[in-house]
Amino acid sequence: MVQKMISKEKISDLIKELQKEFKVFGPVKEEGVVLFKEITDAKEICLDYSNSKIPAKSVLFPMIDTLFSYKKEGKGVKIIENPPYEKTVIFGIRPCDSMGFSLFKNFFSFGKYKDPHVLNRLKNITIIGMGCLEPRTTCFCTSVNGGPFNKESVDVLITEFKDNYYLESITDKGEALIKKIKSITDADKGDLAKIEKLQKDIESAIPVIEGLVSIYTKLDGLFDHPMWKMESQGCIGCGACTYLCPTCHCFDVLEENKQDGSGRRIRIWDTCQFPLFTLETSGHNPRTTKLPRVRQRIYHKFNYYPKNYNIIGCVGCGRCIINCPVSSDIRNIFLSVENMSFKTEG
Amino acid sequence: MQLESPYIPVLTTIKSIVRENEVNDIKTFEFVFNDEEDYKKFDYVAGQFAELSVFGLGECPIGIASSPTEKGSIKFTVKKAGEVTAALHNLEVGDIVGIRGPLGNGWPVEEMKGKNIVIIGGGFAFSTLRSLTIFILHEDNRKNYGEITVIYGNRESGEVLYGDVLEEWEKRDDINVVLTIDREQEGWTRKVGFVAPIVKEVSPSPENAVAIVCGPPIMIKTTLDVLKELKFSDEQILLSLEMRMKCGIGKCGRCNVGNKFVCLDGPVFSQAELNKLPKEY
Repeated sequence: MVQKMISKEKISDLIKELQKEFKVFGPVKEEGVVLFKEITDAKEICLDYSNSKIPAKSVLFPMIDTLFSYKKEGKGVKIIENPPYEKTVIFGIRPCDSMGFSLFKNFFSFGKYKDPHVLNRLKNITIIGMGCLEPRTTCFCTSVNGGPFNKESVDVLITEFKDNYYLESITDKGEALIKKIKSITDADKGDLAKIEKLQKDIESAIPVIEGLVSIYTKLDGLFDHPMWKMESQGCIGCGACTYLCPTCHCFDVLEENKQDGSGRRIRIWDTCQFPLFTLETSGHNPRTTKLPRVRQRIYHKFNYYPKNYNIIGCVGCGRCIINCPVSSDIRNIFLSVENMSFKTEG
Repeated sequence: MQLESPYIPVLTTIKSIVRENEVNDIKTFEFVFNDEEDYKKFDYVAGQFAELSVFGLGECPIGIASSPTEKGSIKFTVKKAGEVTAALHNLEVGDIVGIRGPLGNGWPVEEMKGKNIVIIGGGFAFSTLRSLTIFILHEDNRKNYGEITVIYGNRESGEVLYGDVLEEWEKRDDINVVLTIDREQEGWTRKVGFVAPIVKEVSPSPENAVAIVCGPPIMIKTTLDVLKELKFSDEQILLSLEMRMKCGIGKCGRCNVGNKFVCLDGPVFSQAELNKLPKEY
């Protein structure tokens, strides 16, 4: 482990240094909204934010992603594969969103078929996470194996302390990277213990939903429970909860053509909250109403994910709670499930 | 090294097109692979499916109608239903079609060895049953299976698929072929009646048997009732599920029934397996 520091005002020097070798994505404020974008000007980076409106999964799994391109020539067709992915740094991602990256890695590499787009990008990405000093009231990362300073899914973890950013390497990849950076200096040893305490204090202040990690065993018997009628009544089916979720990965596949016979097959973010998602050509639809669609979202994350991949399909970022136009709160669903209650530690 | 992409189809050329029914909305397409290597890699079992690509329009998942024992090409029977299937119907011999596959699990032909096989199909859902029956009847495989009964129903005689192979099967003495249509029709000399009552009439024994059922939902439902009456257990009944699919490889997330993906864990499930899943299909 290597520990380094940089003063806040010099952060753009660090970004500039990274840009020499990597494409750098980071939080940028646009029209009042923070998004993860490629940093073109180091001054653009906005580190004074709670979390981005759209999760950084958009870097790993873009809203529109080319699967391949083609060119029709006479009767023939030529298939053109994507160019290799560039070396990339994701700077300032919150630990919950980087947990989402681990989940993507797990899911897209699972089984016989590997997704080359997500996995090749991941191979080329170095994640510099930034701990959460002020978790939101909607955050519940500590209930799903995460935390505001979770080190599991980052290569480097940054913690803001007084006038400095402290960098700690977590992986070999992260260590190799920060050893090379000239604009950072060795960490002030006197502050390290204080930082550790600060991290612990912040983490323990987040309310814990007891038993959420093992909720899937309880869900097994609740598929036909009347609670789903209650929980789905208010839903307007807008799909915001899924589009803005750092773990939702469902996609549609479309074709995009030009008149000259060239085109590309793309995938775009899709959502289980839309009736068209499962509508078959015959007209049959296994999920015609809101109830099975709302239930599908919960079961996919909290029952099917643990069963199939031994992970929970949720990182507790709370975006689905903040952005729901009818104020539906996923935590109420957890509470509806028998024997669960909120408990605040510390 | 970059990973190989399971989303990229291989190129094939249409070798023949057979019009399968009178209204001409079902055609069987025969494809040959443009690259011999791609054909070698296309190692399939009956009951699997593939994604057919019409470049510029997209893909659709279709069950493989040919048997792995029919060498040199692969066949798909396609009903004109949506955009891609309509585009396929407009293609001609010599046109290029992309194929991704084989996908899904297919019929458990290894586990079915030594058993009596009862194949029950209705309408155009017969394609993977054609594949299965031809596979089992092949001289290399026939000895591995017991009695074979095929019960195939249609609404009318003009809808019966694969007339040529059905005739061949009828001539053989190692397979019992029962064809039926819903109502009397001039010139029709086989059975008349819905599939379920015909199954009851034929009354196949459940002893050491496997029943395979493919068809429209109402036919499946009524046939399952009859099979239950005949004392077939849920483990002995195999079904092939359909759900809307896109990627075909368990990633796009839309064809799940409970925690199973129809494209990856299916499309073939036993009734016993389905009993454990939510009734959401």
